[in-house]
Amino acid sequence: MVMLMYVRLTQMREGEKGVVVDIQGGYGARQRLLSMGIAPGTKIFVLKSGNPGPYIIAIGNTRIALGRGVAEKIVVRREL
Amino acid sequence: MSSCCSVEKVPEEKKEGLKVVALAGNPNVGKTTIFNALTGLRQHVGNWPGVTVEKKEGIMKYRDKEFLVVDLPGTYSLTANSVDELIARNFILNGNADVIVNVVDASCLMRNLFLTMEIFEMGVKNIVIALNKIDIARKRGVHIDIKKMEKVLGVPVVPTNAKEGEGLEELKRTIASMAEGRITTNPVTPVYEELIEREIEHISSLLRGTPLEEMYNIRWLAIKLLTRDQEVIKLVLDYLGSGKMDEILKHISELEVYYKRSLDIVIANQKYEFIDQLMHQFVTHFGEAKETFSDQIDKFLTHPVYGLLGLLGVFYVLFKFVFTIGAPLQELLDSAFIALGEFVAPFISNEALRGLIVDGIIGGVGSVLSFFPLVFLLFVAMSILEDSGYMARAAVVMEGIMRKFGLPGKSFIPMVLAFGCNVPAIMATRTLDDERDRILTMLINPLVPCSARMVVITFLAGAFFSDHKALVAVGIYAISLFLALLSALILGKFVVKGEESPFIIELPEYSSPSLKVALVHSWERSKEFLRKAGTVILFGSVAIWYLSNYPEPIGNGLSYAEKLGKVFEPFTVLMGLDWKAAVSLIFGIIAKENVVATYGIIYGIGENEEALISLMQNAMTPLQAFVLALVTTLYIPCIATIGAIRAEGGNKWAFVASIYNLLLASVVGIVVYNVGLLLGL
Repeated sequence: MVMLMYVRLTQMREGEKGVVVDIQGGYGARQRLLSMGIAPGTKIFVLKSGNPGPYIIAIGNTRIALGRGVAEKIVVRREL
Repeated sequence: MSSCCSVEKVPEEKKEGLKVVALAGNPNVGKTTIFNALTGLRQHVGNWPGVTVEKKEGIMKYRDKEFLVVDLPGTYSLTANSVDELIARNFILNGNADVIVNVVDASCLMRNLFLTMEIFEMGVKNIVIALNKIDIARKRGVHIDIKKMEKVLGVPVVPTNAKEGEGLEELKRTIASMAEGRITTNPVTPVYEELIEREIEHISSLLRGTPLEEMYNIRWLAIKLLTRDQEVIKLVLDYLGSGKMDEILKHISELEVYYKRSLDIVIANQKYEFIDQLMHQFVTHFGEAKETFSDQIDKFLTHPVYGLLGLLGVFYVLFKFVFTIGAPLQELLDSAFIALGEFVAPFISNEALRGLIVDGIIGGVGSVLSFFPLVFLLFVAMSILEDSGYMARAAVVMEGIMRKFGLPGKSFIPMVLAFGCNVPAIMATRTLDDERDRILTMLINPLVPCSARMVVITFLAGAFFSDHKALVAVGIYAISLFLALLSALILGKFVVKGEESPFIIELPEYSSPSLKVALVHSWERSKEFLRKAGTVILFGSVAIWYLSNYPEPIGNGLSYAEKLGKVFEPFTVLMGLDWKAAVSLIFGIIAKENVVATYGIIYGIGENEEALISLMQNAMTPLQAFVLALVTTLYIPCIATIGAIRAEGGNKWAFVASIYNLLLASVVGIVVYNVGLLLGL
């Protein structure tokens, strides 16, 4: 099976790690994510995934829950 | 969101010449705990001018000096995208604070320092960092060299563990010294890549020499322009004119083409990189992010099935607690007001005046105030759930369901509280960040039957449907909840416009809440409600008293209330209800349980329940009783609720809620009655 390196957060599975590479989506949501520490370069760890969300990710000691709409907008480089 | 962003820039008046200390920081960093510790719970809860964001102020004592401490809203940054952020930002920009205490969570330094850098970039110097939760950071294996951190950041850093009171004396001492100008600081500010720096310099050169230079830090304005901050663009446009502004925007677009992404992302990214470099100078061990026990609990509590069951369990306990303690207090308060009325009556010789004071003011206001223990206890329960960290999990569980109706998961909490009382429920809507979500949640809230309406529903169901009373009662609850959600969809589309807010929520670490803090805070909030809704309640009570006593007391068909009932009768008869029902519904506006009691007054039998049941059974069919119960549940909210909506959302939305509920009740009443008739009920 081929593992894609660059995926949307919604395609990440529980227990996977990655680095945020881009944040798409509207100005408001983007600003919110950036200020909460989800920016290009941020290392994340997926704690909860799967439809229809919400998704829970760990950034250091912070835990953030995201709706599906927002998680779609976050592009991640998967780390194996 | 445009309406939310015009928070006025009014300089705060300095109270009694006290030096002002402002607390700024991310949500969930223990800012409130520090505030409570500094002020020793000598505090006052109010609102920021013109908006429904809670403002907490308190007095801090150090040695013989007093300081006014202001708790700024918890924010992750200082953009113009939310009211909270604008309030904090303007407070800092206006130089209202003599000392700014930036509360930073030592266990999540990276993210917390983002806000710190935003504050530093504004050009303010009088900053102390309270490095809170230092114990948790240590436990996680994070080692911070405080001396080096002070040197690198250029401001004093005081490690604290506010929960245990650690470091607070030191914090007070530092605040006091800074307020007296005995500490000089030199806050470090982020340096960006060459290209960005060049553009910052270019914009700065345009701004220099304008009056803006006197009022703001030029570099901060330039950086905010690069991130397309709407408020700053508006501000600068006034001074530079559209020609120069277009040139700036053109440069921004060119840079965005170069970086292949929006500049706000580029700048945030570089800011984090800068913070990362700083941190490497004073953090010796970073610790490893791993799944914790709390994460295991979260998997359960945010699970679509178990999470929902957990939620039901939590709220069951909550209501059990509130009603077990609240119901006896409610009765006690009720009889206290009756006793007060009886005590006062003999002292007033003028009959009209005595009626006004005893029946109108004491009686009416008393019947509303008897709900006060319930309101207060619901606040306490809420406050405890909030402090424990559970509320964020409840929002996650409900997100999927509520979103189908155009509402965020968080809006579920006010809806549940409404089963107890709509007043604290409506005041709880202020935990929603988005203006649209807040108003929408507030408008549909009265449609959730509160405990006062439960009295009416169960009375009528018991009197008219003895075989199926539970089914009928549940049916009425189901219809009104269905209508509440349906209304969310309709109102969200046509009345309260705006985009649905994205779902992004931090799950704070679980922590044991402090009962003392919950009690003080709830008391302050309850008082605030009374102050604000008091006039509405008083006015409503007196008006209803007047209608029912003039020109002759109610009971023989001559009072204005009964006449008014007869005026409405041609309309209410469409739903099968006569003038007696109309009068009862008018009285129900004071407090919904009055609907049944009013029948007693009209029939002249007082509180004799059995007699009332048999009289009502003779006068009404079960279908009519069903419609009455349904209409009582749906029509105009009680005055305390209207007062709460007015306090939280303003006159406009209090009016909209009243009219919408009335219309909805009328339509539903007429439809149900006529369909019932067709079915031969």
